[in-house]
Amino acid sequence: MSALQDAEPPQVIIVEDEDNIALALMTVLGREGWRLTRFADGAEGLATIEERQPDLVLLDVMLPSLSGYEICQRIRMSDNLTKTRILMMTARGTSVERRKGLALGADAFITKPFDLRDLMGQVRRLLSDQSVILDRETGHA
Amino acid sequence: MLERLTQLPLRLRVFLFFAGLSVGGLVALGGGLWVGLTRVESAGVVSGFVTAGLVAGFGLLALSAWIWMLFDENVARAIERLSTALRARAHTDLDRALDPSHGQYLGDLAPAARAVTGTLAETKNALAEAVERETTRLAVENARLQALLADVPAGVILCAPDHQIVFYNGPARGILTKDRAPGLNRSLLDYLHAGPVKAAFARLSRDGATDAATDVLCACAQSGKMLAGRMRLVDLPQTGSGAPGYVLTLRDVTDELSLHAGREALLEEVFDRVRRPAANLQTVLAAGVAKDAKGRAALLSEVEHLAVAITELGARYDSARGQWWPMTSTGATELAEAIVAQAAQAGVHLTAHAADVRARVDVFQLVSLVVHLAERLVGRDQAGDMTLSIEEEPDGVLISLGWQGALVSVSELERWLAEPLDVGLADVTGRSVLAAHGSEAWPERASPDRGLLRIPLVTAWAGPEASQDVRRAVFDFDLMDRAPSGALAQTSLRALTCVVFDTETTGLLPSSGDEICQIAAVRLLGGRPVAGETFETLVDPGRPIPAAATEVHHITDADVRGAPPIETAARRFHDFADGAVLVAHNAPFDLEFLRRHETGIGRRFDHPVLDTVLLSAVVFGQTEVHTLDALCERLGIVIPSEVRHTAMGDTVATATALERLIPMLEAKGIRTFGEAVAAARRHARLLKDVNAPEHAPA
Repeated sequence: MSALQDAEPPQVIIVEDEDNIALALMTVLGREGWRLTRFADGAEGLATIEERQPDLVLLDVMLPSLSGYEICQRIRMSDNLTKTRILMMTARGTSVERRKGLALGADAFITKPFDLRDLMGQVRRLLSDQSVILDRETGHA
Repeated sequence: MLERLTQLPLRLRVFLFFAGLSVGGLVALGGGLWVGLTRVESAGVVSGFVTAGLVAGFGLLALSAWIWMLFDENVARAIERLSTALRARAHTDLDRALDPSHGQYLGDLAPAARAVTGTLAETKNALAEAVERETTRLAVENARLQALLADVPAGVILCAPDHQIVFYNGPARGILTKDRAPGLNRSLLDYLHAGPVKAAFARLSRDGATDAATDVLCACAQSGKMLAGRMRLVDLPQTGSGAPGYVLTLRDVTDELSLHAGREALLEEVFDRVRRPAANLQTVLAAGVAKDAKGRAALLSEVEHLAVAITELGARYDSARGQWWPMTSTGATELAEAIVAQAAQAGVHLTAHAADVRARVDVFQLVSLVVHLAERLVGRDQAGDMTLSIEEEPDGVLISLGWQGALVSVSELERWLAEPLDVGLADVTGRSVLAAHGSEAWPERASPDRGLLRIPLVTAWAGPEASQDVRRAVFDFDLMDRAPSGALAQTSLRALTCVVFDTETTGLLPSSGDEICQIAAVRLLGGRPVAGETFETLVDPGRPIPAAATEVHHITDADVRGAPPIETAARRFHDFADGAVLVAHNAPFDLEFLRRHETGIGRRFDHPVLDTVLLSAVVFGQTEVHTLDALCERLGIVIPSEVRHTAMGDTVATATALERLIPMLEAKGIRTFGEAVAAARRHARLLKDVNAPEHAPA
């Protein structure tokens, strides 16, 4: 059964240090009625992720105290977070950075500035429990 | 009887010879008188005297003819053979003993000549040994200099004051070559646009200070490549003309300029595409229209323009990131070997595997980075069983550093990448090396107890494979002292720039459709072949090669499949031979094949020509055999059987023959091209002279 069909709305944690982006994400995702939490600091975000085991993490790459890559790796190394999906976000979207993110365990990688409809499409796919790695720009599966 | 006669002293034999001649004359006279006397009674006195005169006269004529033949065969031709054999030994390195049959009726002359040539050979050998010792020492020094020069990445060219090339190294050859390779004694201005070179030389010459230098930026005339470098005047010790030549160091900056221009254009585009939506945004916001739907749409539209522009320009910047850093096309095996060797020095043992692939990298910095990471891995928790693999990927290569032990965290790897590397440059860290290569590094788990550090390298930037050009330098410093060349006819044979060539063909009759299937040539300066300046190509004759021809030169239809047609091959050969005297053995034959295609080639083979068949006749006499084999035999040139009747094998033999004929021609007083052509024309019965009228001697 997918997370979207669960009785309890999906839990999404946003780790993003840029307030304006975080506000936009909270606004758009909030319309879906999902449980949202936002952290600006990487270390704080990771601690909460490990504690709450969310369905989805929207993870910025460049973060204070702990990079998005590091958080991604730690989530994937944790036995308790195997079901947590990770959508990485970065302003620098070179192919080698996308590859690094996916190699470290991200389920998808999206480059800023992004179209909010594309973002929502990626988020819904991940929450639908499709174990497919999607890449907005390359279309790789 | 005859043998006993040959053992008599020469003077006695000559006396006996002439005594015999006198006796023979008297016998003819007596016989004539006797025959005449027998006719007096029947035909009268007058008739008797006439008969006596006729018989005696014919007898004396026959006797004279017989004596002439004996003299011609045993004295005149014997002397000629002996003298050419002596000249061959005097002017060339031929040290073979004289043929005993030469001059066997010339008394002690032949044994004396053999003794002289024997002593000459011994003296030459002793001299040659001394020269060889000194030459070996110089050759070792030369080899060391060559090795040093081979490692100079810039093109280095030394020119005489008239811009004729005296020296060039391998990179210079690579930089200047497109259709036509550089050559000694060719004008540098044929390869570079003349303006900047002439201007720089004039600038330096005006200042007059030797060792003065100036920067030069010029373009290659053939390829259009942009070249940057320095010109420096050099006054070499042997220069007698007084005017100094110059050394030009060049490097290809086409890519650098293009990259710089690209970055400039990108920067300009950034301003252009960002300035307008930014200004529009400011205007829209200042107008306070953001509250209504139309205003918000206007805002969003401008923001979208801005975002698209920044994303696109950012992607272009990222794709060009690191291209400014000087990198070389390097084989993965070479890279792996360097990493393993440097790691071993640091006490880290790596087992390496590398695919047969190349990448454009800064070898020194990349090796330092990988070894640094390997050291950190070992230092962290005694990681063992370390491996290095460099594999090919669809869009590049992937370096993987493997180890036995716990996985490295991203933050730990980042700390290692932030540490300075010992590469002799300030502020170089692992992170900056990765940035210069447009790359990243990350850890992956290969198995529960084995980790991998991955570093992908994109080879889309890969330049051409390292040049396989001959790296050796080509030079002839005597050219610095060369007097300005005057009219060709007055040019000394030793000062000629010659291109010796040979062709292999499908048959002997170009008029019946036979064609060239191979051309080879070597360039000679100062009468010596220039190492590294050779030309060799197979040619598609456009028709099957008959078995009989293949039997001679061993070239098959399969060999010439895919080879250039005669028009292309001959055009390239024409470029190679530009400005030179063409030399061939039986030149009319080879030139006939080339001249038939002049229209298609678009060039005329109207070079001045020397023919070694005719030069052989000049030196050895017309009555000798003048095939290439016979000429080589006389000059002591050995053509290895495996290269005989290959275009290059015969070309090298012909070039060596010319090299040895020149001093022999000089000994006969034939010193200039004009004199050689005039002398050759005296043997036109053998071969026609193929020189155009303008090359005829004055």
